[in-house]
Amino acid sequence: MTTANIILQVDNVDIYYGDFQAIRNVSFQVPERSIISIIGSNGAGKSTLLKAIAGLLKPYSGKIIFKGKDITGLMANKIVAEGISLVPEGRRIFPRMTVYENLIIGSYTPKARRKNKELLNKVFELFPVLKEKSQQIASNLSGGQQQMLAIGRALMSDPELIIFDEISLGLAPLIVKEIYQKISEINREGTTVVLVEQDVRRSLKASEFSYVMRGGEIVLTGKSSALEEEDVKVAYFGL
Amino acid sequence: MGKECVTIVINDIRNYKWFIITGLIAVLLTIPFWASNYTVSIFLLIFMYLALAQMWNLLAGYAGLVSLGQQMFIGLGGYTLAVLTELYRAPLWSSILIGGVISLIFALIISAPIFRMREAYFTIGTWLVAEALKIFFSNWGYVRYGQGFFITAAYQLTTTHMYYMAMVIGLGSVAVVYIILRSRLGLGLMAIRDNETAAESMGVEVFKAKLICFLIGAFVTSIAGSIFYLYQVFIQPYAAFGIDWTVAMVFIVIIGGIGTIEGPLAGVVIYVLLRQYLYNYAGISMLVLGLIAIVLIHVAPKGFIGTLQEKLGFEFLSPRRR
Amino acid sequence: MVQDFAQPILNGILLGGLYAVVGIGMAMIFGIMRITNLAHGDLMVLASYLSLVIISGLGINPFVTLVIAIPVMFFVGLIVQSALINRVLKKGNEPPLLVTFGLSIIIQNALLLIFTPDAKMLMNSLSTKSIFLTNYLSVPVIYLVDFIIAVALILVFNQFYQKTYLGRAIRAASDDEGAAELVGINTRRIYGIAMGIAMVTAAIAGVLVGMTFTFYPFTGTQYLIIAFGVIVIGGLNSLLGVLVGGVILGLAQLIGAEFVGTGYQLLVGYIILLLVLVVRPQGIFAKN
Repeated sequence: MTTANIILQVDNVDIYYGDFQAIRNVSFQVPERSIISIIGSNGAGKSTLLKAIAGLLKPYSGKIIFKGKDITGLMANKIVAEGISLVPEGRRIFPRMTVYENLIIGSYTPKARRKNKELLNKVFELFPVLKEKSQQIASNLSGGQQQMLAIGRALMSDPELIIFDEISLGLAPLIVKEIYQKISEINREGTTVVLVEQDVRRSLKASEFSYVMRGGEIVLTGKSSALEEEDVKVAYFGL
Repeated sequence: MGKECVTIVINDIRNYKWFIITGLIAVLLTIPFWASNYTVSIFLLIFMYLALAQMWNLLAGYAGLVSLGQQMFIGLGGYTLAVLTELYRAPLWSSILIGGVISLIFALIISAPIFRMREAYFTIGTWLVAEALKIFFSNWGYVRYGQGFFITAAYQLTTTHMYYMAMVIGLGSVAVVYIILRSRLGLGLMAIRDNETAAESMGVEVFKAKLICFLIGAFVTSIAGSIFYLYQVFIQPYAAFGIDWTVAMVFIVIIGGIGTIEGPLAGVVIYVLLRQYLYNYAGISMLVLGLIAIVLIHVAPKGFIGTLQEKLGFEFLSPRRR
Repeated sequence: MVQDFAQPILNGILLGGLYAVVGIGMAMIFGIMRITNLAHGDLMVLASYLSLVIISGLGINPFVTLVIAIPVMFFVGLIVQSALINRVLKKGNEPPLLVTFGLSIIIQNALLLIFTPDAKMLMNSLSTKSIFLTNYLSVPVIYLVDFIIAVALILVFNQFYQKTYLGRAIRAASDDEGAAELVGINTRRIYGIAMGIAMVTAAIAGVLVGMTFTFYPFTGTQYLIIAFGVIVIGGLNSLLGVLVGGVILGLAQLIGAEFVGTGYQLLVGYIILLLVLVVRPQGIFAKN
């Protein structure tokens, strides 16, 4: 990896909740147009790290650099405008708005708004079911469709980097498989992907590069194809 | 070095707490003998507003009940006193007490419906009840519509009499809150304040705890209201059931420190003195108090006393049993 | 009998339109931020006085004063929200409530100082005119104007919420604040704009109320309760609910007054409101 094509760089980040240190000196890099995964159990600090990248909380120290620009501590709404989009855990769609409105609000940033028609067509191409149900109230969709809507909404901001937080949680295996196919499709179109998962096997299979977290630290790093599932599990559980 | 000094002073205060309190009460008892009439009436006002603020603090600061309708009990107390003494020539003392009991019963009756309302709904619900009473009283022939009463029975009392009455209700209200908070009920209230759902599941009977506070608040507020109208002599529905009463309570508690026993003590002194100082500019004093309150909510949400306690780590009248 | 009630029913429905305008801004803020703006009525009366000042300065029609009153009130709302409310939003239920309560007292007393306690009215030719439908039934023109403006305002609001980015952003922020931030919405700014818009409705309400009834520095409380009633009866789920809430409240007051006398007109409204609160503490048309 040369620095020229690193799109996201996290340097020595520490995050605290009060006195509790949730993230300890975490550093990692995401190459442009790659799929990387961050693997870890519940409470390993993955979500905290994501929140810091997405601007929902501020790191105590360290730097987050996106496309060569320091974005540490920027507000979430500014970070979206920079080109990072987060598909949050639990989907967090706007339940009382229609599918169409959920998508269109996704391109709220001025840059995305200018080409919202084009973006909308792309999303409808990727998820035809959303086009079909575009006038329905979002809360009436099935779990899988809501997940697609959450992804579609994130794509509507025209991101260069998209982060998926626990995307397979609570979904049927068949739907998870379909969604992972869509993710690799999104990646092929040129968007960098960060996957955050508890599911070790799926993460290794879907990504090119993996970071394993435990207790707020990165404990194992490597090319996904080179990492043995057993090694990852050992790191994951700290056995 | 400075910090150590403060700690030593605090320890001294702690050791001689009851001695200091007894001394203070003794001094307050002698005030009518040596102070000017004006000073006596200032203290009288302080005691009366102290009782009102202490009760509002019990509700809003401890029981989580932000009521903007406490003036209903002042009106009920004042009007009971006026009607009983003016129309029936009833004795003064029993009239005041009956007023308290009527307020208590009224509070009990409205508690069932009003406690169904939560948060802002409760706040405006209580206000609505007070507003409804205001309109009702000003259209009720039996209480002479909006015209009001002169409570002539008050003429038999001197300012000194009223001073002691106010002192009893003012200091009594502090004692009542102190005793409540150190009782089992107080522990329950602390639990409610920290987490209502958890308190409920822990077996604290939330409804009962809140109800008891509401009833005590109604009774004491009503008595204080009666004493105020003895002092004021003239009662009229728009003032008696007016929101201004609760405005005073809210400002005193916010300025002093919500959820502390000492807060209203400090708040009431600031409130009464400021109102006296700006007496000739009625609107300005409320404007200034409103600004102080808003600024404090932002920079010192626990008021003067609460912030001081946090800095020094010391409560003079701690509700916690050591 | 029918003739006795036809007039109060007609007036009640039309008055309900005015009440809807009084309540719509407060409903909006309550729906978005779960904040009860206890100063809503006073801010509305502030707009009435603002209009009064402009009329006495320029001698123009009350409606024309809206050209100035609307932008001024928008900025008042923006400042109130950003300077006073946004900072205490995350500190529990009481602080925002008490801040708006303090604001209410400040506005009332400032108005008292500047304008004296005398009742004022925004003089206009409409307030004394009536259209006679039969010998017994007439339509007060100003009530009719109030109602038409209310319906128009609700239609405009509906379009704004459904069709514009800003309207959708407001809805998104009220659905899920965190998710709204994630799609790029600066929710604090949106709250400021929402309060600004709420104050635009308060400006319109203030001018209409000032043309229809007299007002004085403390009238705000009365209109706060009306606005609250509109919310409680109408619920928060739809703009139509606001209109329905206003109409029910207006009807209740005027029909009630027919039974018990005009002295009790407000009382009837309050009691109905209390009954609604007791039976449906979350509003009549609320879903859960």
